[in-house]
Amino acid sequence: MDDKVILRTEGLSKTYGNGPERTIALDSVSLQVDRGKLLAIYGPSGSGKTTLLFLLGGLDKPTSGRIYFDGVEVTSMNERRLSRLRRNAIGFVFQNYNLVDELTVIENVMLSMMFEGKSEREMNTRAEQLLHHVGIAGKERRRPSQLSAGEQQRVSVARAIANGPQLVLMDEPTGNLDQENSEELMRLVTEMIQGEGATCIVATHNLDIVHEAHSNIFLKSGRIVSG
Amino acid sequence: MTLLGLVRFTARGLGRRPIRTILTVLGLAALILTYVSVQSLVSTLEINVTGSVSSLGGEIDVWQKGTVFPLFSKIPESYANVVKNITGVGLATPVALQELLVDNSNEAVVAGIVPTQLSHIINYTMVAGTMITSNQSGILAIGKALATAIGKNAGEVIQLDVNSYSISGVYETNTWIDYSVIIPHIVAQKLFGFANQTSMIVVTTKDPRNTNTIIGQIRTLLPTADAFRTSEAPSKISPIFASLETIATDITIVVSLSAVLGIMNSNLNNLRERMRAFAIFKATGASSSQIIRLVIYESLLIGVLGTLLGLGISYAVLKFVSIPIAQSISVAVILVPSTFIYAILLAISVSLLAAIYPALRIARVRPQEVFRFG
Repeated sequence: MDDKVILRTEGLSKTYGNGPERTIALDSVSLQVDRGKLLAIYGPSGSGKTTLLFLLGGLDKPTSGRIYFDGVEVTSMNERRLSRLRRNAIGFVFQNYNLVDELTVIENVMLSMMFEGKSEREMNTRAEQLLHHVGIAGKERRRPSQLSAGEQQRVSVARAIANGPQLVLMDEPTGNLDQENSEELMRLVTEMIQGEGATCIVATHNLDIVHEAHSNIFLKSGRIVSG
Repeated sequence: MTLLGLVRFTARGLGRRPIRTILTVLGLAALILTYVSVQSLVSTLEINVTGSVSSLGGEIDVWQKGTVFPLFSKIPESYANVVKNITGVGLATPVALQELLVDNSNEAVVAGIVPTQLSHIINYTMVAGTMITSNQSGILAIGKALATAIGKNAGEVIQLDVNSYSISGVYETNTWIDYSVIIPHIVAQKLFGFANQTSMIVVTTKDPRNTNTIIGQIRTLLPTADAFRTSEAPSKISPIFASLETIATDITIVVSLSAVLGIMNSNLNNLRERMRAFAIFKATGASSSQIIRLVIYESLLIGVLGTLLGLGISYAVLKFVSIPIAQSISVAVILVPSTFIYAILLAISVSLLAAIYPALRIARVRPQEVFRFG
């Protein structure tokens, strides 16, 4: 496999239900993503963008097809190996942030590091650095609900990159943000790609992001129409 | 995730749901209090009854067959010699018992014991005067509780029915015997009208491992008598006493089961409310086993808090409770250390059992479904 390819899928399909109730969410999707690049996936609602992201992130299993991450097949991994992969190599950013409001901002950022078993000191230092980097310094002990939408999304970006992942998956990251916050977020994403060397896959309706991306694919009814 | 990290994380989580945490801790504390109280009351009764009515220092008691209380038993005194001749028997001494009116005011057990055998079958300390040492009539020793109740001391005279006796000394045993008087066996036989008869025979063995064999031999040689281990005396005295432990166990089982179901229900509701948080944990890399451990540690932490509170309350309450067991005698509840150890094991087990099913369920959470459908 080509070293510059970090992610590759072959005939990836996902269906829900059986018989007449059967819904095809993804239909034979084959793609490859180069290391350190930004790939935008766009398309109408219900086109399978989120399903594809969940499959790529190991949060769901495909009905058929294969996913290779860094040359290793992900689809045959057991739950334990998938957890390790999500912990160490993949970060998620969701449209509605998915921060745990029981925890403080800094604890949210520390989550994946904690599941990795890092020391308290190491986690604190890294989380404080990241929060400073995304402009949330001084608000570490607040609850996520005490932050603005833009701030919450920046915290979720900090959480996604806490363990230095090779791949960051973003599902409509600017969906709940205004123009200013969307631009700020994308500036962070660009920095992340350049600074951390991470690969980003963004599912979005935001055409600005599609234009900024190194490559893009257009999904419709679960199939790649262009890209 | 490190163990310490998990415990810290769990502790913080509990602190943020104070009402639920406090209610669950109180529930567990109530379980501990119920368990310790029931077990301690049963133990206290058992220890006192065993330690007084029948346990006169022997390993085997011999009573008249069919009687349920030694005061109602009457067997030939010669049985003592028959038992004494059985191989492996160390001591076989007759004890005559009857309840009489003392100083025309208080009913008390009068025990007729062979003076030379007294020290072998009763563990006493003299608080005044001396113990009876010969078969001399007209003297007796009195228990401290009874002496206090009738206001008499060593050297004074008391009435047993219509006869006067001089008190040679006041003894203390910390059992029911403290509310009794001891007179020589031969004197008791005359007083009670027991010609060549006695109430029971107290037997000690040279080797306790032979106790069952000796009991079998006694039953064969003395068909009109019943022989049994001293520790079985409480169940002989009253069938109700024998079932007390069963009742205590039943109460413990019912209360524990209720606690398990209650805490499990609380855990399930709590986890259902936090489904999104656990889905996020999974999405950020938590494995199923880490989530199971998280839930179990959380429940165990509540278990530890409930146990500590329950033990503290139980100790504080029971230390000041006493049970009336005879006229003017109340005994403090005996706090047996093993009861507290079992209480700890019970509470931890309840916490663990109540956590396993919710933990397994929450570990199967599918983030993609939670994020999409809530």
